[in-house]
Amino acid sequence: MTASQDPARRTFWPLLRQATAYELRKQVAFRVGFVVRELGHGLVEPLVMLCVFWALYRSAGEGAVLRGWTFPELVQYVAGLLVVRKAMFHNRALDLSTQIFEGRVTKYLVMPMDYFVLAVARFTQYTLLQLGIGALTWTIGALVAPEHWLFPVSFGACAGALTLLLLGSWCCFLVYYILNALAFWLDVVWSLLVMVWFVISFAGGALLPVSQMPPVVFRVLEYGFPYWTISAPIEVLMGRLAAADVARGLAILAVTAALLEAVRRVVWRRGLARYGGAGM
Amino acid sequence: MVSAPREVALAARGVRKVFRTYERQKGWRGVLGNFVRRDWQDIVALDGIDLAVRRGERVGLIGANGAGKTTLVKVLTGIVPATSGEATLLGRSSFDLGDAEKRRLALVMGQKSQLWWDLPPLDSFRLLKEVYGIPTREFEARVAEFSAMLTVEDKLGIQLRQLSLGQRMKMELIGAFLHAPEIVFLDEPTIGLDLVSRETIREFLVRLGRERGITMVLTSHDMEDIEDTCERLVILDKGRVLYDGELVELARRVSGKRAVEVHVAPQHALDEARLAEAIAAHGAELAGRTALALTVLVPAEQLTPLMRVLFEIVPVRDLSVERQPLELLVKELYRGGAIPTAAANPSSTTFPSPDHGPEEPTPEEPAP
Repeated sequence: MTASQDPARRTFWPLLRQATAYELRKQVAFRVGFVVRELGHGLVEPLVMLCVFWALYRSAGEGAVLRGWTFPELVQYVAGLLVVRKAMFHNRALDLSTQIFEGRVTKYLVMPMDYFVLAVARFTQYTLLQLGIGALTWTIGALVAPEHWLFPVSFGACAGALTLLLLGSWCCFLVYYILNALAFWLDVVWSLLVMVWFVISFAGGALLPVSQMPPVVFRVLEYGFPYWTISAPIEVLMGRLAAADVARGLAILAVTAALLEAVRRVVWRRGLARYGGAGM
Repeated sequence: MVSAPREVALAARGVRKVFRTYERQKGWRGVLGNFVRRDWQDIVALDGIDLAVRRGERVGLIGANGAGKTTLVKVLTGIVPATSGEATLLGRSSFDLGDAEKRRLALVMGQKSQLWWDLPPLDSFRLLKEVYGIPTREFEARVAEFSAMLTVEDKLGIQLRQLSLGQRMKMELIGAFLHAPEIVFLDEPTIGLDLVSRETIREFLVRLGRERGITMVLTSHDMEDIEDTCERLVILDKGRVLYDGELVELARRVSGKRAVEVHVAPQHALDEARLAEAIAAHGAELAGRTALALTVLVPAEQLTPLMRVLFEIVPVRDLSVERQPLELLVKELYRGGAIPTAAANPSSTTFPSPDHGPEEPTPEEPAP
């Protein structure tokens, strides 16, 4: 049977398209929620970072270079963070654990589809929406403060950074999916999600560039997907990382994604065997 | 000519389901104690269920709360695996259903919405159209037909959360039948609905079941749902099958009895010994007793002689006689009353539990 004849494959794409459209409609249905969660998300932390770095560099003296970074470069890094953090998949976009606790997964288990398609639709919707908002944020920043803003060094750098970001975001999504699926075993999952979100943010360079951290920490973190999802794409845009680095990052992300996918399948299959279908 | 038995659509053989839980201790010491050590308990929800439902059958599944009705539905649909025994649906292990089998199956949960809460039902139906790969023309025809049958044509574009409970349930039913399923499980579909909505839903189920030969398994606490919709009744109690047979047969047995309610004057003392003797002598039984009234179940042919005796020994103030309602019998069964074994449907298919030895599959039963 060829791929085009396989009914499951025929169902996947139309269902993904329809479910993504549904997710988008759901997001914009609540206007206040949309502004607070989607537009406002990820704006505060970079501003806090900017204030902290301003104080640090001011105490270090005019034109100081701290572990290879000048203050204007850090301002550009923070500008990059505003966009990258928006597009990177966030745990709040996946409510699988609640669906498991409340037995809302039940209805999908008797349908001829893989529940994962709906989660992928959530990922697609989130990414499309946040990329749009991220582009808008970048445009506003470029118009308001062009002298401090981050402009990609080349089109190739832009494409490389975007690829890293999307693949890294997919890894984040898989991590959150696996953690959410732990709801088959655990009573509380949300605290775990918050903790992991913080670890990913820190290890990815959302508080300070990973390359500015102590060398031993950097050497460890550069093999993790968070670095290639947050810090590395910005450094690629700034021209601090070359094409060879992008290729290395993509390889690390691809291997990570493959491993996470295998774990996801095992966790989901074993979790279903424990499912009680609560509330029916 | 004897017609060939229909193919078995779903079956349970010695199905047992045990949930494991721990007893939560009271108070702070209990909380700390639970943190360190937990006393796990096994709760047996299903205890060796044997059941077979043939294609086109409409089976009512009833039982008191905690009897195992919903768990049985969950096991048969593959939502939860059986701890032991075997549950099959369309010849395949329920917990291992493929997309081909799932396309022929539908589940309606009265206490859980299958449709998407934030969307108008029509949008949910479109999503289901993609899930089940329903051709556009068939999809549109079915939405129009079902919404007209359930009188909700003008509600299809309203957000689900804004519809009334009855309208929501009707939308759930449309969503469940859109892909023309062969087997439909309905778990308390009329719970909390008004009389008119219940009536409409029953008519819808009966019509679709008859016209399209859909196999239905309906759980409900409302005996009217079962009487109006199903032809076969399965009563569960503490995870076991208490009764499995034709509904008409049960009704026939019941119709042979009369319920006599006698209201007595409170100031007069009853001759209890004589009353008990009279009741026993007429093959009757005392079904209920309060300070002011007593209810006696009596075989129809013994009604007149018993009444004569009752008027002699009881100071009757008021009296009513009616056929024993099916509901009363079911209540009796729940309370641990005797099961009228002779009423069990000889044509219904039940499998012996594994303890009784293996059984060869019937020729019409597909190989798993």
